[in-house]
Amino acid sequence: MMSQGRTLTFNIFRYDPQQSGDKPKMVKYQIEETPGMSVFIALNQLREQQDSSLQFDFVCRAGICGSCAMVINGFPTLACRTLTSKYPKGEITLMPLPGFELIGDLSVNTGKFMRELAERLKLWLHPNLDDVDVHRLEAPMAPEEAAKLYELERCVECGVCVSACATKQMRETFVGAVGMMKLARFELDSRDQRGVEDFYHVIGNQDGVFGCMTLLGCQDNCPKDLPHMQQIAYLRRKMAVALV
Amino acid sequence: MTIKTLLPASSIPGLAGHPWSARADKIQSATGLLLGCFLLAHLHFESSILLGKEAFYQVVQILEGGMFSESGHGFPVLTQIFSVFILLVVILHAAVALRRFPAQLGQWRALRRHMNGINHKDTHAWFWQLVTGFILFFLAPVHIFTMITNPEIGPNLSAERVYLDNAWLLYALLLPAVVIHAMIGLYRVAIKWGLTANRSGLRKVAKFMIIYLLTIGMLSLVSYLFIGADLTIPVEPYIPH
Repeated sequence: MMSQGRTLTFNIFRYDPQQSGDKPKMVKYQIEETPGMSVFIALNQLREQQDSSLQFDFVCRAGICGSCAMVINGFPTLACRTLTSKYPKGEITLMPLPGFELIGDLSVNTGKFMRELAERLKLWLHPNLDDVDVHRLEAPMAPEEAAKLYELERCVECGVCVSACATKQMRETFVGAVGMMKLARFELDSRDQRGVEDFYHVIGNQDGVFGCMTLLGCQDNCPKDLPHMQQIAYLRRKMAVALV
Repeated sequence: MTIKTLLPASSIPGLAGHPWSARADKIQSATGLLLGCFLLAHLHFESSILLGKEAFYQVVQILEGGMFSESGHGFPVLTQIFSVFILLVVILHAAVALRRFPAQLGQWRALRRHMNGINHKDTHAWFWQLVTGFILFFLAPVHIFTMITNPEIGPNLSAERVYLDNAWLLYALLLPAVVIHAMIGLYRVAIKWGLTANRSGLRKVAKFMIIYLLTIGMLSLVSYLFIGADLTIPVEPYIPH
């Protein structure tokens, strides 16, 4: 196995905004590569053996929680799903995701961002309130519809699409792919009473689908391979014919 | 490195859909598509000089409506009218495309910082579309105004413009700018509205078209220079055999 016995060099962005006088800098670490090592495993080893002050986020280590997203050699992605054997030179540069509030080092506050986005776009189910009868069984959903919803529901809110989007970096109020993906999910849901007009008033503007410049950083970097390109094109076509 | 996040919804009272957002996006794509298709035709028509003076003369006569005149010569006024139309389309396209420009220094710096930190090909392609689009603000109108004021097109008359009037300098700069801008733009319009899902195939077509159009454009420009160098003053229009 080619990944055995190599010495990996990590260049890691270090900065603690909580510490007065601390300045952003790149720090070099070296570590012995082990078989099947992911960037996430390497970071844990670094923290255990070399520098206990190193900050980064993780929960599930299996690409489900979306916490460990960072920029690895220029590509925003999940650290737990990136094998170190992918880099033949053994040099790995880690930067925090741009576009989010920095907590420290590689840790960014995606949670705050996602919550504000959800509040702004009202990313929850809006059931038909005139039709509330707790004694009645809920109508079953067609399997095809459930499958469609589940496809979009796979988003783990890692923030990669936001960091990969130059439009979002230039225009702070732009909702980004995650916002449009989640709205598309409710647009498809037959239980949601919101119609095309309601969605139009949320994303039918320069901050929504008509602000997207189709740079496709979201599509090319999404660690869950969500169909951002098709989804945004679908919303754009839908919004383009609404209210004209 | 701290970067502000979104303001909470309550602090953005004006957040709402706007019909002009949809219209601007549609106008930008439609005018872009029109101009891109026009460019494809235009570059092929003018490159017919590569097949000889006679071929180019015939193309010009057809496009200027030579079949409707008794003498068989076309009407240059058609070129003038069409040039005015294209100018209007260019103005409309530029007006709506301006929305995309990083008009503030902060936005420009955010773009450059993003491009330095994140490795993404399509973002780089868009950046070149942005740069060439900016260049076209200055070069495209010069070319179109020339065609409105001096619409005479022909093997000798065009060569006179290119060589004796030094328009080659304009064309040598305009050609790469407009070809790169238009081909990346057509690629983007197709995926933006979901006309095709075969993105990698479309990218290959766009790359091929850029090389192909630059080649025929540059070769025809060189042949106009050669024809221009052989002209005798005063320049006589080409007479077909």
